[in-house]
This record gives sequence, structure tokens and C-alpha cells, in this order.
Amino acid sequence: MAIVELESVKKVYTLGKAEVHAVRGVTFSIEKGDFASIVGPSGSGKSTILNMIGCIDQPTEGIVRINGTVTGGLKDKELTKLRHETLGFIFQSFNLIPVLNVYENIEFPLLLGKNRRSRKETREWIEFLIEAVGLADHMHHKSNELSGGQRQRVAIARALVTKPEIVLADEPTANLDSKTGQSIIELMKKMNSELNTTFIFSTHDRSIMEIADHVIQLLDGLIVEDSKTKAEAGSIS
Amino acid sequence: MFLTMKVAFRNISRQKKRSFLLAGAIAFGMMVITLMNALTGGAVINIRDNFSHALGGHVFITGREWTEAGQMIMKIRPDANLDRLLEENARQIEAFTRRSQAMPSLIFGSQQTMHLLYGVDFSEEDRLIDSLVVVEGSLAELGKRDDIIVLPEPVAERLGVEVGETVLIRLETLTGQQNVGEARVAAFIKDQEELGLSAAYTSRANLNSLLGMEPHEYQILNMFVTDLDLVDQFARTFREGLLSPEEAEEAEDEPEVTVTVAGMPIDPGTRTQEVTPWEGTRYQVMNINQIMEAVELVVGVLNRVGLVIFLILLVVTMVGITNTFRMIMIERTKEIGTMRAFGMQQKQVKRIFLWEAVLLGLLGCLGGLVIAGVIALAVGSVSLNTDPSLQFFLNNGRITFSLPLQDVAVNVALVILTSLLAAYWPARAAAKMSPMKALSSHT
Repeated sequence: MAIVELESVKKVYTLGKAEVHAVRGVTFSIEKGDFASIVGPSGSGKSTILNMIGCIDQPTEGIVRINGTVTGGLKDKELTKLRHETLGFIFQSFNLIPVLNVYENIEFPLLLGKNRRSRKETREWIEFLIEAVGLADHMHHKSNELSGGQRQRVAIARALVTKPEIVLADEPTANLDSKTGQSIIELMKKMNSELNTTFIFSTHDRSIMEIADHVIQLLDGLIVEDSKTKAEAGSIS
Repeated sequence: MFLTMKVAFRNISRQKKRSFLLAGAIAFGMMVITLMNALTGGAVINIRDNFSHALGGHVFITGREWTEAGQMIMKIRPDANLDRLLEENARQIEAFTRRSQAMPSLIFGSQQTMHLLYGVDFSEEDRLIDSLVVVEGSLAELGKRDDIIVLPEPVAERLGVEVGETVLIRLETLTGQQNVGEARVAAFIKDQEELGLSAAYTSRANLNSLLGMEPHEYQILNMFVTDLDLVDQFARTFREGLLSPEEAEEAEDEPEVTVTVAGMPIDPGTRTQEVTPWEGTRYQVMNINQIMEAVELVVGVLNRVGLVIFLILLVVTMVGITNTFRMIMIERTKEIGTMRAFGMQQKQVKRIFLWEAVLLGLLGCLGGLVIAGVIALAVGSVSLNTDPSLQFFLNNGRITFSLPLQDVAVNVALVILTSLLAAYWPARAAAKMSPMKALSSHT
């Protein structure tokens, strides 16, 4: 079952008098539970596609369907609600909220909407995530007291806290050294396997794209390859 | 709401120096207006107290009647109705005094001077006796004999009289005949001439005999009330209770009555219209608030000037807040994008900024009030040896501060409103920011 569908999607930006065709008409779908990677060189349209899937940008043409909902035409309030209920985000530069500590950063998305869990359940869930990303000893640290890798782990837990259907990660390892980057990808894979959350991440690092079971290769705003090789669940510890 | 407030609070503590400066600017404005209001509030109370003290009460009742010869005289005779009112309202009356008054020529040797003279029953004038500051002589004889007089020091100097010597009192009786009496000087007292209320004192029996009145008659009934807030209502009770049926009919056509405390009409609106003689005594009731109206008018103007200064300061601060919030918005663009990506609605983003403004405003108000309180305490503890005319605004030589809670509430509300207004546009701009553009920002 496709959880993300893009049909003939184009995106044109206007930069002064010039038009930039960031995405020139792409069609693909991502199944629920996929660990999908969008790869390509800089300027190939990876981030633009992730932004459109993430409902923070709208296509100029074509249809983006998230979990069955066509995002085009939705008002800001509806898009925000869709983001909150369906999507989680991991950013290249972590984007933690500096005034909040680890626990509060992870808790943050839960406080934005209606939280149906009890306070105890919420606490247990957040602590489980903190444990899962290996930051149990840093629960009350502020983001400026953490290393890059630790920050990205917080970001992963934050992305997962609302139990979203889809987690989008825009170059999650770009600001990390290769070893830390590898461990972050492995952590994401582990979460993908354990929680059956769909992960879509963009990268131009060939070594980490190989872990993905669905790779979409872009060049100049067009798909050059869309390959699926479903990896065995639980193969990464 | 809790989340936005929490983030706002953390944001304020994130940039301590900037928050301190902004809140400091607000605090300065708050301090100025608080001190100004408290100073004028305290001055009003002091002036009222000093007036009450000098005039011998908060509510003043005078009586007028027509003589057979067609002269209107100021006199209160024993009156069962007045006694009943005094009894019925005894709980609200702290003390009352009954005085006569005149503006006689005081003569000693070849010197003479006109001066206000009160005839008082010293047995009911404890407050007066306590307030008199004796420069020479003694008040021990007051109440024991009638033919004694207490003179303000400058009057004694003008006359060249010494304690123990006798002065002549020349005056017109109530019916206009010349009369002369004498009184022995018991003491010189410190004068309050600068208040325009300087007076000499003799026994009421002595003055009454010179004025052609019976010893139990008097001209002014002064009352100190227990609750000054109720003084208007209290005065009304007496005004209505002392109204004769004929007077009630005429009252609708008559302007507000005038009272002559200190020998002169206090109310400048003296009537010029013809008066039809009446039978019996007609009373005029006045209270301290009516005297204070002119003072309060001046205070009102001062407070308005203070408010204008405060508003100017607020506008300047508002510009500062708006600029700072614009800067903050730019600084936090990426953060706003992140929050929006995770599902924060536009109104929640706006709320964070508005909460920050409210918290800054509250911090500023609190700081301003604390600083004003400290200054008021410090200034209030100093005894000022100033020009005597300023003493009227002081309480025993000290500046006092009084600030009604509602004034504080109004000022705080003004600050909060201004802060909200100043932060509104940057908050709105932050809320309207596209999440995509915000996330791709480099700030």
C-alpha cells in the first residue's frame, strides 16, 4: 500500500526574473514501512521533493498524495494538522529548540496537538524513545551541551514521538562525520524495522544509500532510477 | 497555551541582557508614573488631613437665622433635630467640636491687628490642644477660666504683648454693634499662617459673650468622621436631615450653599441673588471633599501630566519592543520553521511572541513597582526641613506616598496592552512565515 504518491509533480521557483525548474515531472510511490532514500547530487531536487512530501511546500503541477490525502489545495491549518498527525522530520542541522532540554525537545510535538495518552504513558513513551536513541544519561541536557550525533539522535526521537506514519530526513548525516553518520542511519533503520514507520531520507552519500530498501535517484529534477530491494527486517541491531 | 507560555518564558531567559534592557525601559516608565501617582496621592491625603486639622473637622455645619430686625446672622441654637442626628450617627463620628468665630481687632497698647479668633470649648478640643505647639506660656489654664487667649507667635510679636498680659478684643456683635472685651494671654503658639488658617483661640463662652450669643450657642459644628471614604454620604445625611420642609421646596432652585469657615467664604461661588427671610435656623453642611475639590483638580492635572509622560515613555519603549521583536523574529526564523514543521499552528507561533511581550511587560511593571517602592520608602523616611508653606503637603515633615490599587492595575494594564501592541506585528509576521522559507533560512 502506497503511503506517499507523487504523480507528474513539477516545481518551479522564481528567482528574480528567472525561473528555476527544481522538479521537472516526477512520478513515484513509497510503500508503508519502506526505508526509502532519495539520492542525487546537489540541485537535483531532493530537498524540494522532501519538502512537498512534508507538506511544507506545494507542487506547481501534479499531485502529491500523503496517506491518501491530496495535499494540493489544503489550507495552512489543514496542512499543519496533516504534518502533525502523519509526519515527522529530521533535519540536516538538527534544528533542536535551544531553550528546551532533551526530554522537552522530544515532548514538544506531542504538546502541539491533542495528546490522547495519559501523562504517565506519555512520560514512559518519551523515556522509551530516549533509551532507544541511547541518550538516557542526557535527558535534561540542553542541545548546546550535546555533540552533533547526540543532537541528531534527539531529532530522531522527536520525529518519532507522535508515532507518525512517515519520517522525513533531509540529509540527516551531512553535518556528521562518517562513523556517526553511519550510526544514525543504522538507528533510523532500526526504528523503521521496530516501529514499521516509513522513513524517507535524502542523501548524496552512496555508502549510506545502500542500506535503503527503496532508492530513488534524481538528476536535474528528474528520476533516473527507482529501485526497490527490500532488506530483511531486524538485520540491523 | 501552556506550551507557548513555557517557550516564551524560556526565550526571555535565553537573551537575559536584551530582556533586562527591554524590561528595564518598561520598569523606568512604570517607576515614574507610580512615583508621580503615589506622590500626588500622598499629598492629597496630607493636604486633606492638614486641612481637617486646621479647620477642626471633616464635616462642617453652620446655621443661619434672621433677626427680628431683618438681619441674617450665623448662629446655631440648641436643636433637638440636630442632637438626634448626632446621636443616630454617633458611630460614624470620631469627635465633634462646636465653635464660634470672629475677625476682631486685637489691641495691645498702641498696636492693633485684625486676626481670626475661634471661641472653643476646650473640654471637647483635645485634638486642637494636642496640635498646638506652644512657643511660650502654657495651655494648663485652658478650660479652667474663660477670659484667656492663645495667640499665634507673629500676632503677639506685632502687638508686642507678653504672656500674662491682657489684650483688648474689639469686634462687632452678630447684630452689628461694636463691643470690646479683654483676655489674658495664656500662651504663644507656633503659627500656620502660611496655610491661610492662622487663628487665635479663646473660650467659646468668652467669644459668645462678646458676639452677643448665649454660652450654649455656637456658629460652627465641626465633625471628624471615622471613615473618610464615607464623608460625602455622611454629610448628605446631615444635609437632608437638617432640611426644613420649606427649604426642601426651595432647594431645587437654589445653588449649592456657601460656608464661611475661617471667617471667609470658602466657596467662591457666593450667591448674589436676593434671599427671602425665613423662620428658624437653616443649616449649611459642607465637607472636606468640597474644599479638596480645587486641590484634587490640581492633582488631577498633575496626574494627567504624569500619564502623558508615561505614555510618551511607553511609545518610545514600544518602538524598542517592536524593533527587538523584529530582530528576534529574524534570529529565530529556523526555529519557527521547525516548530511549524512539527505542527505548530500560526496562531501558536503568534502566541509565543505575544506571551513574551506580556511577560516582559509584567517583569517591567514588577521592577518599576519595586524600584518605586524602594525610592518611596527611602524618601519617606527623610524628615524635610523645608519652606513652611511646603509643610502643608507633608505629614509631620515627611513626604508620604499613597497609591490606590486600581491605579496600579490601570498602569499595568496599559503597559501590557502597549507591549502586546508593539509585539503584535512582528508576531503576526512570524506566524505568517512560510515553513519552507523559514527552514531554508541560514539564521
